[in-house]
Amino acid sequence: MHHLFDGGDPGVIVQALATVPELAEVAVPFIGVALGPGSVPPDLKEIAILRTSAVLDCRYCVRAHTVVASDMGLGAALVRALRDTPPGARPAGVDDDTAALVAWIDAVAGGRGPVSDDLHRAVSARLADHQIVELVVTVGATMLLNRLCTSLDLPSSPATLARLAADGFPP
Amino acid sequence: MTGGVADAIAEGLLHGRVWLYSTYACNLACTYCLTESAPGVPRRALEPARMVNVARQAEALGFTELGVTGGEPFLSPDLPSTLSELAEVLPTVVLTNGTLFNRSRLASLRPLAGLPLRVQVSLDSAEPDCNDAARGPQNFSKVVEAIPRLLDIGLRVRVATTVEGEPDPEAMERLCQLHRSLGVADDDHVVRPVVRRGRARVRGEGVDVARDDLPPELTITADGAFWSPFGPTVTGGVLDTDLMLTRTTEPLTVPAEALLRLLKARPPGSDARTGIR
Repeated sequence: MHHLFDGGDPGVIVQALATVPELAEVAVPFIGVALGPGSVPPDLKEIAILRTSAVLDCRYCVRAHTVVASDMGLGAALVRALRDTPPGARPAGVDDDTAALVAWIDAVAGGRGPVSDDLHRAVSARLADHQIVELVVTVGATMLLNRLCTSLDLPSSPATLARLAADGFPP
Repeated sequence: MTGGVADAIAEGLLHGRVWLYSTYACNLACTYCLTESAPGVPRRALEPARMVNVARQAEALGFTELGVTGGEPFLSPDLPSTLSELAEVLPTVVLTNGTLFNRSRLASLRPLAGLPLRVQVSLDSAEPDCNDAARGPQNFSKVVEAIPRLLDIGLRVRVATTVEGEPDPEAMERLCQLHRSLGVADDDHVVRPVVRRGRARVRGEGVDVARDDLPPELTITADGAFWSPFGPTVTGGVLDTDLMLTRTTEPLTVPAEALLRLLKARPPGSDARTGIR
């Protein structure tokens, strides 16, 4: 597990996973691929991560990805909408494509059973099948991290909390 | 998988011995103890049946020897019968502080004579005061009484000496004269440095070691599997996980494969430097 620490403090998620080395050995690279660059445009992927974290009410992940999403240029209004809109509701002030994507994410992350045909059709208009597969895995991997962070009550870093305060987001 | 372990052993990449940490409890509290073992610490024991299971899996995978360590393994009244089962599977060495061999315990060891079993007793100095300063009061006298008794019942005995700093040649010669006088040949005397882990680290003693300083020897504990028997150390009451391979210990293929992956990833020339064993 040394390589995970070669670059300094890898953060509390990797620290937690590293207590089970055989799990960390596959989970950390998997999470890196599932949440990292892929065939889905980065901004859509970040919307999926932040929105999923809000649906699952993961304080750690919402805080961390508020910063990531802001740094990616998603815009404060969209970031707030993704954080604050209740699951299943249409976020205020977003275009129809984004609203459809958010509804689809809500169904994947918070629903039971298959995603409805209407939601699937709306997302299929923008994304190819393999991109939808990738995005489902992104949502699923985010849910895993949401539950890990929430169940273990992992603490946000001081830097993240300072940045949220500076940007006017609630802690 | 079997070929993987056997090939790695044949190529000299992997030592053939699998270590079993039978317990972390000990009747002593040596100053340099890797595991901060002492009376009253959590036992974190491998139960006898589990040790035998691991041994059988080790043999099937191609490992060639077993080592039983602790803590003090002989704190367990079941150990003699467990050793008998282990030595039927693979040649076995058991490490001990040599202070628990009263008449009844020696009697329980008699059936082990003739098995491929070695008893490795710790003895650090020919000078009682020097030895006992690190290992505890009366340790020296108990050990020098125990070694001939173990030999008398037909067990093969090794002496292990742990030294802080450079060994003093004159002191080492006196120690060698002592172990010879007790019936232990030079080939059965091993000398190794204090390693700066566990209690030695807290005290600022011993040599610093990195993973590749330690010969790879699959080590199984109640907490998981490690790169080396110097891996599952305890510092300040907390298990060190820097040399942990896997939490999974059975099936033994899981930690064995993890160890082989690390060995294959090592660059050429990354041989052990300190010769610790």
